[in-house]
Amino acid sequence: MSIAQVKRIAISDSPWPWLLPLIALLAVFTIYPFIYNVWLSFHEFVPKSRGLKFVGFANWVQLWNDGRFWGALGVTFLYFAVALTIEIILGMAIALLLDAELPGFAMLRAVLSMTLVIPPAIAGMMFLLMEDSQFGALSYLLGLVGLLDKATPMLATSSLALIGVLIAEIWQWTPFMVLIFMAGLRSLPAEPYEAAMIDGASSLQMFRRLTLPMMSRVIAVAVLLRGIDLFRVFDYVFVMTSGGPGTATYTVSLYAWQQTFSFLKWGYGATLSLTSLVIVMVMANIFIRVAKVRW
Amino acid sequence: MQQSALARTLRTIAGWLVVGAFFFPIYFWTSVAFRDAKDIFNWPPIFFNFQPTVRNFEQVFGISLGFGYGSQEAVTPGGGNFYMGPRLWDSIVVASLSTVLAIVVATLASYALSRMHFRGRHEFVNWVLSTRMMPPVAVAIPMFFIFKQFNLLDTYVGVILVHGLMNLPLAVLLLKSFFDDIPAEIDESALLDGASRWTIFRRIVLPMAKGGIAATAVLCFIFSWTEFLFVLTLTQTGLKTVPVVSSTFVTSIGTAWGNMAALGAAAIVPAFIVVLLVQRHLVRGLTMGSLKQ
Repeated sequence: MSIAQVKRIAISDSPWPWLLPLIALLAVFTIYPFIYNVWLSFHEFVPKSRGLKFVGFANWVQLWNDGRFWGALGVTFLYFAVALTIEIILGMAIALLLDAELPGFAMLRAVLSMTLVIPPAIAGMMFLLMEDSQFGALSYLLGLVGLLDKATPMLATSSLALIGVLIAEIWQWTPFMVLIFMAGLRSLPAEPYEAAMIDGASSLQMFRRLTLPMMSRVIAVAVLLRGIDLFRVFDYVFVMTSGGPGTATYTVSLYAWQQTFSFLKWGYGATLSLTSLVIVMVMANIFIRVAKVRW
Repeated sequence: MQQSALARTLRTIAGWLVVGAFFFPIYFWTSVAFRDAKDIFNWPPIFFNFQPTVRNFEQVFGISLGFGYGSQEAVTPGGGNFYMGPRLWDSIVVASLSTVLAIVVATLASYALSRMHFRGRHEFVNWVLSTRMMPPVAVAIPMFFIFKQFNLLDTYVGVILVHGLMNLPLAVLLLKSFFDDIPAEIDESALLDGASRWTIFRRIVLPMAKGGIAATAVLCFIFSWTEFLFVLTLTQTGLKTVPVVSSTFVTSIGTAWGNMAALGAAAIVPAFIVVLLVQRHLVRGLTMGSLKQ
């Protein structure tokens, strides 16, 4: 290619020179790992020879028969559903509460955004400290109102550990919903509400018939973005419980990571991570279609 | 809507209480950073009435504030060292350079996606969005083996590359939304005057989108600053960022809560300041440019 040709492409109206660096980097980050994961899922690491061996579909058969995988999938879905539901409802309630010009409310909205920039691993640590049964402030407060017995360590009790992790999750990400919903509320037009007032509608009716429908796109975007992150939860369970006690808080991401790096099951770890990738992609794309979210 | 004075007062109190509850863990964590062990391990827990000390900060940052603990020799329960100055530096280097990488690549691409019409543009945007859905663990595992082959494990270059790549979908979509705000007629009239796309981009669009680019950079910085899984997977001893090194304060022998809180507080405060700077664009950033305030 002559210099003139290169120059012509560079100054032409073609988008590809502009997009090329992005495409190259995203390919490294997404396409190559994907192919590598697929390849790895048909192999397994052999400690004796310190090499990879082709095992066919053995990892996929194992996945199908692995009770711990199905358990982890169940925990992940439970975590996803509980956190998303509470964050949406609580987020909407707080957004409606704070959507007013009252003393200090501008500052309160700024304070609420602080939780979003705390590293989740550190947020997990904060709650690990506060949920300690020996000296934890939150355990103490829950004990005061009779919700928790001092003898019960929240994060070391199978029935409570996931709740303990969810408290950190919900604390950190409810403000995400609040901020997004509040921006949505502020962009609503005033006229429909004025008309409804004249017709004598109650606030509840106005919320159900006006606010919710007009906010549907905002809610859909918030659900999509939070949902994607919830399904791949790793940080909180890693620092707070490492999946324990037993397998009570094992999520798919954590299980995949441990199989790869703790048990050196490279092939099986890749199989697990590929499975979680496929589930997220399918769910998110169905949601995008159904809710008609567009960027 | 008209509300009675009583309703307004109740609403004000409710608002303060709710946000107070959300703020409490931040207050408590920060206060732990200023406590001695005896004030941390007390039962019932101490909420306000403790003897403040800067000892934890002295140990973690190896500085002397006049209390005699400013040595770098203090040993963690696990046997390591408390001195975390270099780890803070690692965090700053990784977050800054990965932000530069993401912003440079993303501004170019976003300009094309915002201004040029070509077949498959919509699909391309969707592809970028879909890369945001990849579970980090599904990227980290293959990346570990790829990096091993190319000797990038445990290096700045490796982590910077991964964090930059991780932030690309956000940066591209967010910058596209900022470019979309600038009227396309400006470009078109400049094109008619014979300016090249590159000139328009550099002389007109970039200066006009300055605020948006800065906000995007701030968000990329924060996401790199808070990232955990990639650093955990791709580093060993060469470098570690603050979130990952904090988790090493938890050991089987005990947890150095005071020191961990000191490091955590030092990592959180700059992020708070930064997020206040971009308050105006925060919702747009959190929704990857989908919602404008």
